[in-house]
Amino acid sequence: MIQPFTSDPLRWVAEDGRPIRELPDRFTPAVLRELHHEMVRAREFDKKLVTLLRQGRTTFYAQSSGMEATQVGLARSIRVGHDWVWPYYRDHALGLAMGVPLLDLISQCLGTNSDTCRGRQMPHHFAAQRQNFVSISSSIASQVPPAAGNAMAQKYLGVDELTVCTFGDGATSEGDWHAGMNMAGASGAPCLFVCENNQWAISTNLKAQTASETIHIKAKAYGMPGYYVDGNDIVAVMEVLSHVAEGVRAGNGPALVECLTYRVGSHSNADADAEKNYRTREEVNAWLARDPITRVERLLDHLGEPVSAEERADLISAVHREVDEAVLRAEATGQPDWRIMFEDVYADTPVHLREQAAFLRAEQEGVRA
Amino acid sequence: MTATQAKPQAATGTGETRTLTLIQAINEAMAEELARDDRVVIFGEDVGARGGVFLATAGLQAQFGPNRVFDTPLSEASIVGAAVGMAVRGLRPIAEIQFADYMGPGFDQIISQAAKIRYRSGGQFTAPLVIRTPSGGGVKGGHHHSQSPESYFAHTPGLKVVMPSTPYDAKGLLKAAVRGGDPVIYFEPKRLYRAAKGQVPVQDYTVEIGKGAVRREGTDLTVIGYGGVMPDAEKAAQALAAEGVQAEVIDLRSLVPWDRDLVLTSVAKTGRAVLVSEAPRTANFMGEVAYVIQEELFDSLLAPVMQVAGFDTPYPYVQDKVYLPGPNRIAAACVRALNY
Repeated sequence: MIQPFTSDPLRWVAEDGRPIRELPDRFTPAVLRELHHEMVRAREFDKKLVTLLRQGRTTFYAQSSGMEATQVGLARSIRVGHDWVWPYYRDHALGLAMGVPLLDLISQCLGTNSDTCRGRQMPHHFAAQRQNFVSISSSIASQVPPAAGNAMAQKYLGVDELTVCTFGDGATSEGDWHAGMNMAGASGAPCLFVCENNQWAISTNLKAQTASETIHIKAKAYGMPGYYVDGNDIVAVMEVLSHVAEGVRAGNGPALVECLTYRVGSHSNADADAEKNYRTREEVNAWLARDPITRVERLLDHLGEPVSAEERADLISAVHREVDEAVLRAEATGQPDWRIMFEDVYADTPVHLREQAAFLRAEQEGVRA
Repeated sequence: MTATQAKPQAATGTGETRTLTLIQAINEAMAEELARDDRVVIFGEDVGARGGVFLATAGLQAQFGPNRVFDTPLSEASIVGAAVGMAVRGLRPIAEIQFADYMGPGFDQIISQAAKIRYRSGGQFTAPLVIRTPSGGGVKGGHHHSQSPESYFAHTPGLKVVMPSTPYDAKGLLKAAVRGGDPVIYFEPKRLYRAAKGQVPVQDYTVEIGKGAVRREGTDLTVIGYGGVMPDAEKAAQALAAEGVQAEVIDLRSLVPWDRDLVLTSVAKTGRAVLVSEAPRTANFMGEVAYVIQEELFDSLLAPVMQVAGFDTPYPYVQDKVYLPGPNRIAAACVRALNY
């Protein structure tokens, strides 16, 4: 029933909320409501982070508004804390849905002492050991070969795990992407590649990115199946990813899933006037009409279980309170001091770094080195 | 501030040794680490059935099977990247890059992933791995089989960089690299693979990364090098000895971290330093050594620190031997320092 290499994206729910395939039993109104809540949580997190940016409390933020169904759906399709994830930098909805504490995400964006990454990376590059959510690199596609290696290790160890590797459409132009896809294909390692195709790599659109009609057909070149799914339909995302993950886990080798979605906002605060410079309001509006949160609301309407305006308002204010509290808690921990610069460079700090640390201590504290 | 002794020593036990070439020592190190720890895996281009282009991995696949020692696609980015992912997931990968000249496609993986993952994750994820690669000239390899790119990697925090010149060190450093907690770039001076022979203990031992060795004791000047230039440095010292000059010869063995105590103790004693490497001179790692010597010992120096290095040209094919700093060029720099 779920076939690779389809010409159109697989979908279960139309934009007006009508199921266009039989809705699987597991998508009860209660479950759909949970998914809706998780997506709203991610959306509101996004909005709050933009506010923090405007307040000067953080310096960079890359929104994922519009991509919630892909990321929340992915989190629901794997075994969190058991499988391993090599994410890219726009995956905070994925992290939230995987149970990474909101405080940790906020702390990383603010670079406070509560940041598990110890204030070493620019905002939006978090890591979470408990969830096997591996550290994000800014270097595009550089997570792809390591994800293949992670999966090769799982195969070697004979463990019942799989590796998930996410990336945007722009990453598929990088040499590392092709190298990693090829390595995974050649080794038959249990790696699930998920392209969150939001159609814009900063200001470069998909047509300028590749002459390939779609991303998922590239899987053919690496000897793995490629699936094409409507990334704004969370039912479709979960149905396809669960099915594909099961095959990968069963030893069928790696697979690529392309989730066709849209980044509604700008790439980051660095290009806040995206609509003026490189894309049209008409295009954005067309995608807003396919919004993943609205689609679930329409589906619930269709099922006779609508989300009331009051329920939605309560939900949104609860998220805002949660973020506000986390910001205060994070900020209360203060900023890491200079010492953290010299730690975690090596397993043990070598003498030249100890001397450089002593020099900085003298400078910072007026202590003789 | 103890100088590591020049003579190979057995770490423990009877002290029984036997003669190995440098490449035999590397092969033995890997065989023993594979046998010691199931997490150790070896991979790269042609390392399996063939045993590597220089036969560094010869026999290992036959002995340990294709799950432990295997060929990969022809892709340095894949090899290094996969090593990172394996290490993060708990294995101890030893990746071979067929020639150091081909590290370019794997460079992003080395500097963006291997070197950074511990730091950027706040220690939540680490990548202890070894990248072995033949480097340096002297085998008529032209510029894509002869380069010495160690300075690129020494410049990247998070990486350890080593280059042995003796079979004893080759084995001990490789074992230390496999057992350590950091990514190690392990350069192998390919012209010494079979030219360097020496006593290697039968029993297990390691050579600590970051410690240099005194190859020859002397009082008049200090010659400091690493890797493929070491035999020539020792020949230059012998020639000088015939003229009545006693040169102390130091083998750095590790570039990151490097043994500053050993170097500074020696140069404080002799008052003169000649730095030898075959990498191009500009931004050569030895520039860092020179900088530390002048900063710490300016008042004790009897002559400027001299550098003997490769030229700032791509490595030539026909002029292979002329490019390399041989004993004569090293001795000439020593004479300049002595006559300053």
